[in-house]
Amino acid sequence: MIKLNNITKVYRTKTIETTALNEIDLHVPKGEFLSIMGPSGCGKSTLLNIMGLLDEPSGGTIQVDGQTISKYTSKATAQFRNKKLGFIFQSFHLIPDLNVIDNVELPLLYRKISKKDRREMASKALESVGLANRKQHFPNQLSGGQKQRVAIARAIVGNPTIILADEPTGNLDSVMGDEVIEILTKLNKENNTTIVMVTHDERMAMKTDRLIRLYDGSQIA
Amino acid sequence: MLKNYLNLAWRILGRRKFFTFISLFGISFTLGILMVVLSFLQSELGTNSPLSNKDSFVYIQQTSLQRTYYDTIPTIDTIFEKDQILYDTTYTYKESGTGVSQSSLSNSIIETYLKDLPSASNMTKFMPGNLQDVYVNGIKLSLNILLSDANYWSIFDHKIIEGRSFGEEEVESGTPVIVISTETAMNYFGRKENVVNEEMFINGITYKVIGLYPNNGKIISYVSPDAVSPYTSMVSSRKKEFYFGPFNVMYLAKPNSIKQLKSDIKAVAGTVPLDHPDNKYDYKEVIFQPETYNEMYAEGIYYDGGDAEKSLSIMKLVLICLFLFFTILPTLNLINLNVSRIMDRSSEIGVRKAFGAHQGNIITQFIVENIVQTLLGSLIGFLIAWILIQIINNGGYLGNSVLSFNLKFFVYSILATLLFGVLSGFVPAYKMSKLQIVDALKENKL
Repeated sequence: MIKLNNITKVYRTKTIETTALNEIDLHVPKGEFLSIMGPSGCGKSTLLNIMGLLDEPSGGTIQVDGQTISKYTSKATAQFRNKKLGFIFQSFHLIPDLNVIDNVELPLLYRKISKKDRREMASKALESVGLANRKQHFPNQLSGGQKQRVAIARAIVGNPTIILADEPTGNLDSVMGDEVIEILTKLNKENNTTIVMVTHDERMAMKTDRLIRLYDGSQIA
Repeated sequence: MLKNYLNLAWRILGRRKFFTFISLFGISFTLGILMVVLSFLQSELGTNSPLSNKDSFVYIQQTSLQRTYYDTIPTIDTIFEKDQILYDTTYTYKESGTGVSQSSLSNSIIETYLKDLPSASNMTKFMPGNLQDVYVNGIKLSLNILLSDANYWSIFDHKIIEGRSFGEEEVESGTPVIVISTETAMNYFGRKENVVNEEMFINGITYKVIGLYPNNGKIISYVSPDAVSPYTSMVSSRKKEFYFGPFNVMYLAKPNSIKQLKSDIKAVAGTVPLDHPDNKYDYKEVIFQPETYNEMYAEGIYYDGGDAEKSLSIMKLVLICLFLFFTILPTLNLINLNVSRIMDRSSEIGVRKAFGAHQGNIITQFIVENIVQTLLGSLIGFLIAWILIQIINNGGYLGNSVLSFNLKFFVYSILATLLFGVLSGFVPAYKMSKLQIVDALKENKL
């Protein structure tokens, strides 16, 4: 499903060169729930961003769903992200000017889908995260856990084959965190969705199929 | 997709109330004020009645007689010779300047030299600024009565709404007939209609009202007089002279002949004799200064030594500068607001791109938002202008000037503001759309 070969990421300034990822080889098969752990600054989020085609590696190749990615800014890559990938961010990244259902509909706006169908799909996604009664609310009217569930609904509304979650429980208390992991696990089991999750929480990581650890940009386990 | 963009634009306007208010206030207020100013210019300088032929007008206000002054300058040198002071005086005779006498034109100059010029299709002579006091029920009423020939009515196309204007026979015979404005009718007779065949007692003469025209509110007195009467109907107290008299002349140039007519008029000045007994001060040159209507108007605002073309150029420049000043400032403000608004939404751009928006989607979204905002501002501007024009017209704050709404300018203004709206949205949207998704998301302003 996701194949990373010899991926490196180097940040260069005039005076300093920082290696964020160092020759990472990783294979995430279809339907796996993988978690990535490691101390702050070890390159977890960078790795996730590269897998999600949100950032370009400095070296190496990426294959996602059998397709080798070369151009990151093209229309085709945008469409690929739209159809194959779903993202969940630690700080939710909901658009404050849009209400809940419009936020969830967002990925569908960039597909040729009628408004009626979009509404239906978004409603189903919200139902699946238990927020069917919050459609017309705006993000600032929701709790942290509710926001993250809206973000999950947005990530799954387009039926992506891969979900990339960057510390999805990082801003939540343990009860809400458990709820989020429960939803993700259900998605993984019922829909066979591949999930890659970055987390600091060992307890959450233990609930996933596989755990890899990064240290200073290198995979250590 | 476009429907989504429009929907989103509408929501953004509603959600970001303060920003929306500032933007709409800037656009609508600027547009509204500009439209009122343009309505005034259109009313004052536009080609509308009685100035429908204005663009072919060539005007002579006066005759100038010029002479050169000479001075005798004594220079005294002192020389010491054999303990004595000797004086040696030299006399120099040289030019010390020019003197000009100016006044309105005489009938004889007009009839002999200025009539029937080949590049003019028509001409009228008239005496402006003739103020007469009349009394209505013991109350003084000052009337600006224009005394003219019959051609006045074919050059200045006042709409006669009742009766008729006077003709050549009435001018030749000096018949005391008068055509009055609706305001004069109201002030004198207490009504704005049914005044034909009524009588007015002016300067010891009883005038018969033969026509009525609406007030047009123009500033120039001979365009907007209170009444017009044959110039022969009132005896001028002014002494008849060969060079100077009480008249102004307005020509109607043949098509594309303004320059030729001006040059013909200047050339004719050279044929006016200088050996007439009325040339008491030995003037050496007769000068006519023909000018177009706009030049004459500009000279009234900014006089530059008689160079009417320069006055007009300066007036145009001032108007353009004012126009630019009052449009560029709000435009820059709008651009600045748009830039900061779009920059402020970088995280949103990151999220949209992460979920599949490409560069074109992002740019289109922000441009549509700007277009919606600009159109809304323009509509409010339209309303502001309309309300202000009604207030000015009903309250008479600009005298008799009647402002009308200029739809053409409104359309041009909307197109211009749309262009600014699109450009001011495009530049920051393009810049932001090129932003790496991770960098945009790092802003974390959501």
